[in-house]
Amino acid sequence: MRMKFAALAIVTGLLLGTASAIAHHSFAAEFDASQAINLTGTVTKIEWMNPHTYFYLDVKETSGQVVNWGLEMGSPNGLMRAGWTRNTLKVGDVVTVEGSRAKDKAYIGNARVVVLAATGKRLFAASSQADTPQR
Amino acid sequence: MRNIVRNRQHHVLLGAMVAVLLTTFWGVGAQQDPAPAGRAGAPGARGASGPPEPTPRMADGTPNLGRAPGEKGVWSVPYITNMGERIIEPDGTTAVERRTAQGGGRGFGRGEGRPLGGGEGTAGGARGGSKSEPQVPFQPWAAAIYDYNSRNQSKYDPEGYCLPPGGPRLMATPYPMEIVQLPEQKRILMIFEGATHIWREIYMDGRPHPDGDALNPTYLGHSVGRWEGETLVVDVVGFNEQTWIDYFGHPHTDMLHVVEKYSRPNKNQLRYEATFDDPGAYTKPFTVRWTIPWSPRGELTEYICQENNKYLQSLTDDFGQPVFKKQ
Repeated sequence: MRMKFAALAIVTGLLLGTASAIAHHSFAAEFDASQAINLTGTVTKIEWMNPHTYFYLDVKETSGQVVNWGLEMGSPNGLMRAGWTRNTLKVGDVVTVEGSRAKDKAYIGNARVVVLAATGKRLFAASSQADTPQR
Repeated sequence: MRNIVRNRQHHVLLGAMVAVLLTTFWGVGAQQDPAPAGRAGAPGARGASGPPEPTPRMADGTPNLGRAPGEKGVWSVPYITNMGERIIEPDGTTAVERRTAQGGGRGFGRGEGRPLGGGEGTAGGARGGSKSEPQVPFQPWAAAIYDYNSRNQSKYDPEGYCLPPGGPRLMATPYPMEIVQLPEQKRILMIFEGATHIWREIYMDGRPHPDGDALNPTYLGHSVGRWEGETLVVDVVGFNEQTWIDYFGHPHTDMLHVVEKYSRPNKNQLRYEATFDDPGAYTKPFTVRWTIPWSPRGELTEYICQENNKYLQSLTDDFGQPVFKKQ
C-alpha cells in the first residue's frame, strides 16, 4: 500500500508539479494518510472558499446506498496556480477522487487528485497532504 | 475572540499537564525516513539556464530584495514544518543540508524533502519529539510542550486557527511573499499572501525598540533593520505568546529575541538566516537557515484564511469536546 501510494504520489507530482501543496491545518490531525480513498461519483455542491475548497460527491456504495462525501482540497489561490478555475468542477460532473479519509468522520476526505470522467483530465488538488512530491 | 483566546490558553495549560504525563512514558526515538522525497527544480530556478543572473540593485547600489522595475516576481516561500532540522549545528550544517548532501534530492524549494521523525509535511507518521532533536536546546517545560504537540500531530497549531505565524515562521509558511524597499521613507514592507494575508513593517530609520510597556507584545513583534554590507539585518522583539516557532510546535515565550539576516547572492535566491534567543524556553540561542527561491513570473493573489475554516468546526479537545462552541 505504501509503495502504491508513493508511486501514485510521484506520478501526480510529475504530472502536475507546479502547484505547492499547502497545509493550512494539520493534515495528520484530521486525516489518516494510510486510509486511502478512491471514489467515483457525481458532484452535488462546490464551496470555492478559503482556506480549503470543498466539494461534495454522491457516491453509490456496493449496497446500492448513495452516500454524500465531503472532500477537501487546497485554497482557491493554490488551486488556480495548479490550473484550476472556479468552474473547473461543476455540479453534475462525474469525477474520480484519490485521497485520504478523515480519521473520525465517516464520509469526509482529503482529495489529492481529481480526475474528470468526461475528459480523463487529471487535476492536482493542491491538497494539504504535503508529502506529495513536487517536481 | 476573547473566547477563542481563553479556549486556547485553556488548551495550552491542558496540553502542558498532559505533556508532562506523556513524556514520562514516551520513549519513541527519531524514525528517519529511508526514502527522502526528492525534489527538483525549485520554482525560482526553473527555466533558468546558464549562470545565475546578478543581484538586482537599488539606485544607490543597495541590493534590491524585490522586483526589478518593470518585472514581475515573488519569493516562493517554502513550506518548512520543523525548524529543528534547519538549525546550524556545530559542524556548520543543518540536518536538511546533510540529508541533501547524502543524495536525498534537493534540499530547498517548496515542500522540500521528508524529515527526521516523520516527515516535513503534515501527513503524519510518528514523530520523534524532543528526544530526536538534541540540537534544540529545550528547557524541560519547552520539551514537554513540544512532545505534546508532536504526539497530537500539531492538532492545536495556531495557524490552523487562521492566526498569523510569528517571527521566522513567516518565511516558512506558504504562499509567496514580496519585499518592498522604500529607502526614501526609511522602511521596508514585507507582504505575505499566505500567513493570514499579513504585512510586516521594518523600520530602517535607526529608531530603537520601544522600552517597557511601550513595547506592546504582538504576533509579529517590533522590527528594526539595518544594512551590513550586502545583508539586511533585522532585529525583532516584542512577540506575544500566541504563536509557535513552526508547524511542528516548538514553543517560545515573550522573551523571544530574533535576529534575521536576508541576502540575495543572485537574482534567484534569497538566503535567510534567523537566530532565536529565548531564555524563557531554551537554554541557549540557536540559528536556523534556508534558501527561498525567486519565482520570476509570480504575483501575489488573495488568500483569506478566515473565510470558511471548517477545521475549527470539527476540532475537538483531548476529551472529545468541541474546542469552539457555537455562540
